[in-house]
This record gives sequence, structure tokens and C-alpha cells, in this order.
Amino acid sequence: MTEKYQLHRGAYELLKGAEDPTMKNIAQWLGGVLSAVDEGKPVVYNQFTFWCDTMVPMGLQPLAPELWGLLPGAATSFPALDAAHDLGIPSEMCWAGRYVIGATLLDQLPPPSMMALPSYPCDNCKAAYQVIAELTGAPLYLVDCPYWVEDDEESMDYWVNQYKGLISFMEEHSGKKLDYDRLKEVAEESNRYIEYWLEGKELMRLKPLPQNGPWGSPAEILTTFGSPSATAAIKARLDALKARVANGETAVPEEKVRVVWNYLPVLWSPALFNWMAEMGAVIALAIYDWTSFEPIDTSTPESTIRGMAKRALHGYMARQGRGSSDIIIEDTLNAFEEYQADCIIVNGAFGCKWLRGSYGYLSDLCRERGIPVMMFDADIGDSRVVSDEEVKARVGEFLETVMERKKGGA
Amino acid sequence: MTALEELTKLADTLTNPYIERWKEKGGKVIGYYCCYCPEEIIHAAGMLPYRMRATGSTSSELGDVYASSTTCTFCRHCLDQAMRGEYKFLDGLTTLHGCDHISRTFDAWRYGKVPTPYSPFYLRLLDIPFKIEALSLEWMRVQVDRFKRSLEEHFQVKITDEALRQSIKTYNEKRRLLKSLYELRKKEAPPITGAEALGIVIASTSMPVEEFNEQLKKMLDEVNGRDGFSDYSARLLLAGGELDDRAYIELIEELGGLVVTDALCVGLRQFWDLVDEDSEPIAALAKRYLERSISCPRMVDYQRRLKFISDLAKEFKVDGIIVQRLKMCDNWGCDSALIQRRSRKEGTPCLILEREYLMSAVGQMRTRVQAFLETIGR
Repeated sequence: MTEKYQLHRGAYELLKGAEDPTMKNIAQWLGGVLSAVDEGKPVVYNQFTFWCDTMVPMGLQPLAPELWGLLPGAATSFPALDAAHDLGIPSEMCWAGRYVIGATLLDQLPPPSMMALPSYPCDNCKAAYQVIAELTGAPLYLVDCPYWVEDDEESMDYWVNQYKGLISFMEEHSGKKLDYDRLKEVAEESNRYIEYWLEGKELMRLKPLPQNGPWGSPAEILTTFGSPSATAAIKARLDALKARVANGETAVPEEKVRVVWNYLPVLWSPALFNWMAEMGAVIALAIYDWTSFEPIDTSTPESTIRGMAKRALHGYMARQGRGSSDIIIEDTLNAFEEYQADCIIVNGAFGCKWLRGSYGYLSDLCRERGIPVMMFDADIGDSRVVSDEEVKARVGEFLETVMERKKGGA
Repeated sequence: MTALEELTKLADTLTNPYIERWKEKGGKVIGYYCCYCPEEIIHAAGMLPYRMRATGSTSSELGDVYASSTTCTFCRHCLDQAMRGEYKFLDGLTTLHGCDHISRTFDAWRYGKVPTPYSPFYLRLLDIPFKIEALSLEWMRVQVDRFKRSLEEHFQVKITDEALRQSIKTYNEKRRLLKSLYELRKKEAPPITGAEALGIVIASTSMPVEEFNEQLKKMLDEVNGRDGFSDYSARLLLAGGELDDRAYIELIEELGGLVVTDALCVGLRQFWDLVDEDSEPIAALAKRYLERSISCPRMVDYQRRLKFISDLAKEFKVDGIIVQRLKMCDNWGCDSALIQRRSRKEGTPCLILEREYLMSAVGQMRTRVQAFLETIGR
């Protein structure tokens, strides 16, 4: 009998001996998922904006299914996207939801024992996970986030109680109890991780940029967050970044344009940023880094859970996708100022209606302030919708305009 | 003019003589999106709740300046109408985070992209939970209370418990009357069509409730004596989100189908459950609006929703289900697939129709409905 998940098993075999701590960490996660599957242990789906720091201390194996789909390359998701379409899922939905639905239908994903889903950032996720729950029969816990009409303690209490509800849910469905000493350890380890992250984020303000962005990555926070291997991964990346700064190395020989990249990278085109760099355009900041975290106070179990819940609100897409357009607009404009950028590029992912729906307001403000801004159309994970050439043509044309403008001193 | 004609014609225009009379008397009108907005709070403040629609819109050109091409056309047309000043009869607007589309278009009002007759214009977003449980019910109660207080503060009015209790009674009466109308549709020869029923529910959201209740009582008397419709080829349940255009259902019914019940936003979902008249009013409203037996797909509550639709199909003895969804609506995109999957398992044929807010691609729709009816027809 052929073993399931061959691509991922292959990736695990390839990565498990890696020296690089980031690769090693991914291998640890993959190995954990595959062992859990093989040994019949519970696997908890954490949707791609929901961190795994509540699962790690319970010894539960997190699996961000969207990340699973990206690991072997976005193009491997095409059969799953087609399967979702055959079920009647519209193609204008976000790649993430369509992939997970389709991969579930095709048995390409380890089935979940339970699922944790925040109500942010979008309709796509809430809608898609309900389909997944129906297809798999797995219990689904919605971590219901307020819209923050009033930014008050009552809203925060509601959110924190949702976190507590999630812990009870995971205890109920796994038969495991949360060990608060372990929770404290995980929270403290994650504090160290965040410290390194923020340190790196500060270095990305340097001009010229020492290393092309984005600096942050969802890889650890979705997979092993709060474990020493996750911290080791970011520490190694930070050390490498520091060494570049110390050696006076820069992202490109001549930095012509600094870009604030609004939103995720184009997931099927990892080479796009390199291509931009060849033009002299660097990414100073992307959505993974628009965040400010306070360390978690681990003095009591209550303060630890509250700290985790509060911190989650500032994660990528959680921060921008849980309320009105105000946050993404403010974050974008602040990033532009603070990182001395020359322009803003918005990856106008078709599925991301909340992001695209904010663009008109953002572009009004940019126009008023004389900030060059551009949104291009793309599907976040499906290269068949808008091609690499089309994206490059649009981005390239815009960058050239910005360069011309800079030359002209405008 | 019959009461039926009087009511259903209100669906064909954005405003109407009832609203005009209300305004002439100095009354205030508060627009709301979505059936999760508690109308009783607005009513108890002495104001007229008006469910937002973009009837009469012919273009979304202005709205498209801010709404993206992936925003649904209902929101785009509403925004367009707003930017053209077509809602000048409104004194305020409230919505909830019903979906990403409505939240983002509501931002246009917040950012002053929409001309309003005066400033500050009342705007309120209700922070409605996405799930049903004890914690979220309490959060809902807080939100309903905040909504009440924000109206009081903005318009300098007092919403008393007594007024709220009276409003609950009045709205419950409306719900009971509408339910009795729907009961008639269970008959082998229902006395009204689906298009007429839609028009009536739209009217219930576009005029003072007391006048609506009186008109509806008259109408019920009228239709009770009317010969029913029996020359249909199939009894249909029409599910889906926003639909406020009678012509859409007329087209289905012209082809021989008869819509005998629905799971629509401006339909059964608007009125199905009663508010408990004996409980503390804010808590009772929170419970009714959050825990309704037929939720919107915005709610992570699909099992109850699917069961309700399945039970409804049996109760109204339907031959098939049509799910209409606005293009770009992710909530209904997934729910329609779930409904179709479930109904097929249960042996009920189900057709999904994608549509835009304005009637378009009529030929294609006609062909698909015709083929569906031929497959399931009696």
C-alpha cells in the first residue's frame, strides 16, 4: 500500500538532516505531523493566521493546513483547487479555503481531530472551515474576535474568554489537560522569539536595507511557536542579519526603490522579490512585520493566557483583518513613514475582499500625501488566474514610474 | 387597489409614500443592513427602521470608486446610491460585520465619502458575534445595549423598557402575521406566489410596522378567499442571501416553478423567530437575534442551518431547492455547496444560481431553471 502524503514525507526526509535551524524547525513540525498521523495521535488544525502557542503546551500537534499546501510549492495545489470547484466552491474564493477544501476531498491532508479557527481575517476562512468540518466531521472551535468598535476592556475580556474556551475545547476533545507550568515555559520561550523578531524588524529600518524583506515569517508561529527550535530558527536568522549589518552588506548593490509591501507575498511566485531586487527595488516591510508585541506576563496562568490572547491580535492579518479599514490604512501609512519607503505596493489578492475593499480609501490618502501606491490583481496561490508575466509587467511598470519620479526629484 | 397590491408595490421603489408621510411629520428613519440588526431598538426610539436596498439603481459607477471589483454588486449598488444621495431620507445608518463586503462599504460612510444631509450623521456598527454560546450571547446583550445607548445619546431620546416591550409586541405581531402568510403557502394550491411573498416581506421593512400589520391583516383576508395557484410544475424552496428584486422570482415562476418557501435574508430569515415578551427586553432581543433558528452563513453554525433548510423543505413539501447567491459572496459560496451536498444526499434536487444584484444573463438563467424544472417537475 502506498503511504499517504508522499510529497511531505519526502520533504521531511530531505530536511531532517539540515543544518540550517529554519529548515530543521520545519522538519521538526513535519515529523511531528507525520508521526501523529502514523501513531493515531490528535492533530489540531490551526488556520493560517492562528498561532499555535496554545497547542504546543498541551502536547497537541498543530497543523496549519494552508502551510501544508504551500510547502511542496503552490502549483501542487491545483488538483485540490479543481476538486473544490467540482464541489461547487466558487473560484473567486481565496486560494487558502479552496485548497483546504479540495485537499480534504482528495485526502491530501492529514485529517484533523479538531480545528481552531479565529473569526478574523475574513469570510473565506469562516465559510471554508465550515465546509471542512462537514466533510471531516471534526469539531470546530471558533475563537470569536470582536470587531473592536469600542477598544475597551470588555472587548478584551470577551476575546480572552474565547481563548479560555478554546483551551477547554482542546482538553475535551484530546483528553489532555493543560499543564500551566508548561504553558509558562512556552510563553517565555515565545517571548524570546518575539524579542528577536522585533530586533530584526528594527534593523530593517536601515537604509540601504541590509537584507531584502520580508523579515518575519509565519513558518514558526504556525508550527512550533514557543519551542526552543522555533527560537533557534529566528535567532539564527537574526544573527545572519546582524552579520550583514556589521559587514556593511546590503540587499542590492544600489537601492533604487524601497517598497512597503502591503499584504502577503505572491505565494506561487517566490522569485518575484528577487526579480524586483534586480531592478533595485527592495521590500522594507511586508504584512508579516506590521506588528508590535508586548511580552507576555507569565506571573500567573491568567496573565499568561491573557497575554497570549492579546498578542494574537497583533499577528499578521489578525491585526488588520479584525475590524474596520482603519488599521490597515494606518499601518500602511505608518510603515511608509517609519521605513522611509518610496512607494506602496498592494498585492490585490482576488480572494481577499477585506483588503481590496480598503484600497480605495488608502489610495485617496496616498494621493493626498503624494505617496505612489499601486494594487495589482493576482490569485494568492493559483498562478493560472493571473500569470507571472502579467504580475511582473504591472509591478515593473509601477517601479519604473517611481524610479523616474525619484530621478526627477518629485 | 388591493392590500396585496398596496404592499407589494413598495418593493419596487426605494422610498414610498409611507416614508414620505413619516418624514413630513418630522419622523426619523434609520437604515439598517442585515436581519441581525434589532429593529425594535430603533422603533422604541420612535424612529422608523428601514432595511437597506438599492432598488432602482442602474449603475454602480460611483460606488466602484471605493468598492473593489471583488465586492459584491449589492454593496456596490448600495454605495453608488448612497454617493448619489438617493438615501437622503435617512437620519442614520447601522450595520454589523455581516460580511467583508458590507463592512468595507460601511467604511465609506465613516470616512465621509457619502454625502449626508447633516453632520454628525448617526452611524453605528454592531459587533455581533459569529457563534452561538453562552459567552457570545452575553456579548450580544452588551452590543444590543450599546446600540440602544448610542441611539439615545445621538438623538437625545430615551428608550424606556416599556417602549421596548411595546415594540417587541408590535414586531412579534408582524412576525406572527407573516408566519401565518407562510402557513398558507404550505397548501397544495398556495394563494400567493413567491414573488408576491418577497414583495410583502420587503414592504415589512420599508414602512411603519403598525401600518404594515394593518395592511397585512387586510391582505390575509383577501388572499384567503383567493383561488390558489395549482398549475405549477414544481414546488420550490428558494435559499440564499440578499435578494430584493421580485422580478427574479417572477422569472422562475413564469417557467412553471412556484416558490412556496424560502431561506432568504429578506424573507423567512427576517421574521421567523419571536422575541420572548416576558423576559428583560434587551436580553430577550439579544437571544432572539443571535439564536435565531435560521442563521446567516456569516455564523459558524452550519449544522443548525442545514438542518433548518432540510426540515423546511419537508414541511413545505418542496420538489427542489434553488440557491441563489451573489457573485463574490464567500459566505453563500460555501453554504450553497453545503446545501446542495446535503439536499442531494436527502434526495432533494438542488440548483445553485449565481447572480448579480441587477438582473442580468436572463437567458442563461432561464435555460438553467427550465432544465432544472424539467428534471424535477411533476
